[in-house]
Amino acid sequence: MIINDVVCPFCGCLCDDLELEVEGDRILRVQNGCSLSEATFMNDTRLPAPIRRTASGWEEIPYADAIKETADILRDSDRPLLYGWSSTHGETQSVGVHIAERIGAVIDNTSTVCHGPSILAIQEVGHPGCTLGQVKNRADVIIYWGCNPIEAHPRHMSRYTTFATGFFVPDAQRERTIIVVDTRRNDSGGIADEFVQIEPGGDYAVLSALRAIVRGKESIIPKKVAGIAKEQLIRIAGICTNAKFGAIFFGLGLTMSRGKYKNVRNAIELTDELNRHTKFVISPMRGHGNVYGSNEVFTWMTGYPFAVDFARGIAFYNPGETTAVDILRRGECDAALIVASDPGAHFPRAAAEHLAKIPTVLIDPHVNATTALSRIQIPCTAAGIDAAGTAYRMDGVPIRLRKVIDRGYPDDAEILKKIYDRLNGELGP
Amino acid sequence: MRVILESKVRKKPNIPIEAEAIIPRNFLKGTDLLVYEGNKERTLSELFWIFVEGTAVSPENIEVVLKGDTSRIKRVGEYMDTGSILISGDIGMHCGNFMSGGTIEILGNADAWLGREMRGGTILCRGNAGHYCATGYRGEKKGMQGGRVEVFGSAGDFCAEYLAGGEVHVHGSVGDFPGVEMRGGQLIIDGDATRPCANMKDGTCVILGRVHEMIPTFEKVERRVIPEWNITADVYRGDIANRGKGTLMVKTAGSE
Ligand code: SF4
Repeated sequence: MIINDVVCPFCGCLCDDLELEVEGDRILRVQNGCSLSEATFMNDTRLPAPIRRTASGWEEIPYADAIKETADILRDSDRPLLYGWSSTHGETQSVGVHIAERIGAVIDNTSTVCHGPSILAIQEVGHPGCTLGQVKNRADVIIYWGCNPIEAHPRHMSRYTTFATGFFVPDAQRERTIIVVDTRRNDSGGIADEFVQIEPGGDYAVLSALRAIVRGKESIIPKKVAGIAKEQLIRIAGICTNAKFGAIFFGLGLTMSRGKYKNVRNAIELTDELNRHTKFVISPMRGHGNVYGSNEVFTWMTGYPFAVDFARGIAFYNPGETTAVDILRRGECDAALIVASDPGAHFPRAAAEHLAKIPTVLIDPHVNATTALSRIQIPCTAAGIDAAGTAYRMDGVPIRLRKVIDRGYPDDAEILKKIYDRLNGELGP
Repeated sequence: MRVILESKVRKKPNIPIEAEAIIPRNFLKGTDLLVYEGNKERTLSELFWIFVEGTAVSPENIEVVLKGDTSRIKRVGEYMDTGSILISGDIGMHCGNFMSGGTIEILGNADAWLGREMRGGTILCRGNAGHYCATGYRGEKKGMQGGRVEVFGSAGDFCAEYLAGGEVHVHGSVGDFPGVEMRGGQLIIDGDATRPCANMKDGTCVILGRVHEMIPTFEKVERRVIPEWNITADVYRGDIANRGKGTLMVKTAGSE
């Protein structure tokens, strides 16, 4: 059977034009997707049943036992941490927030290690952004700053920028100017009209210099800023001010390098400055399929997009203090529930190590690096493959993930709901 | 009156304690106060041995002394307006949040957000201070607005971010971005600093040590003798990128 208009759940682009051929509980072929999407749908090896660590290895246990034990661990904890949430749908994320509030936990999502700094910057100075459709149809100058879309978001360029025909940019390849800013020449830099090679950690200084040049204060800028010649900076400022519609996309090269959220803030303030001359927008290149959704869900439920601490019964937010990496590094939490993510692979070692010292439960369809740190793993559906639900694209547009096959696993929202009900029964209404 | 609180040994010593109740004024009515250990509510006596010496009729005569392992205790002195607190060891995050009067002295090191959004009073930290010393809360337009923070050791990154009033003096060095987004007040750094005063709008910063990676959008206006500091300094205005009118003074090498 052929299914049209399938949404790829892998990266923040959430491409919704895939064509899948399925037979029973198997996917035979993926069309229109990139290689990452093909791997997501085709190499989908699942953990068959819930497992529990024993003295010598692992044993399979029934779902009911795994759920009861997880509830017990969470109930007995004085500082539980609920982390992950980026590779599942909004329905699961919302049950997670309910559990956090019920037991006084800290709940955090993977933005803590990717675009958390972007959010902090947006909270300081706002977000002049727009949807990807606007960029596709209008933008004639595109800047990729500290990101490599060809590798991480392979269809971003073909669907929305470099190679996408837009309503006001009919001849995209000729009419769009592409600027790539990075510390080294990557694949994306290869197809740029202007490649800007920046010294590592120099983003902030370069953004400040560009702001001053756009303001007409180029006389105070030194000959070179972070390895970039003043002439090139002036040329780039010129391209930007002469644009009809400009769009900056930035990635972890900006958010996770020295200065973090101040880099992003400076980029937003450059966008702000450019809007005195023309129309300019800026957007983060969100990584995991539904990481933006976890920010949305957390925000509409708690008021904060990530790193929410319910220890005192009310939501408190302070990245650096209530973020998962910091809580683990300080050895604060005494139990952890990880859902739909792999901190074992992405966290600094000291933080990941603490997970192995405390009772950690992982709810995820696949065996990953976090499995090795966990006491229990409960397999579930994978959103967008055998479960439907809401996800948010990197520009904040909600898209319904579709269920294309049934493999007989319970939905992670359902598992969490059972844990929540147990906790409610035991902790009183 | 002196109230001495000595921390008891805990089963899970890494779990943070939130103790905004520990301010001198609260001890006028006794020691029956609530604090939080992780997600559990505790009485003060569950976590501390409490000794009270003498009596007091008004809060300004109350001194609170914290002893033992206090490095995980957060929010001590939050909203404090009078009296004094002496911490004999290290103190956890958010010590002196929103403080408007009185004195806090820390003999050890202070964790992050020391004197966050402070409005008045004095904080003396004899050891080092963590990140975000004398700053504001996330997304807040104004950080510290009044009072004085003096750190005798070094301070971490983002020291005095959003400083809007009062004085911050670090005797040692500071990390990255001291005085970032500053809009008033005075920041004095005896040691070295990296990328000082980025995006500042107003206020004054004096650096007596070395500056690493000067922000390129500061305009050098003059070199002159600063009588208050008895030094010759390069005086900059900025941050030009931000239409700022702040003053950054950096001591020229070798001048006394
Ligand atoms: S670009 Fe991203 S969303 Fe689109 S097909 Fe590739 S992995 Fe999937």
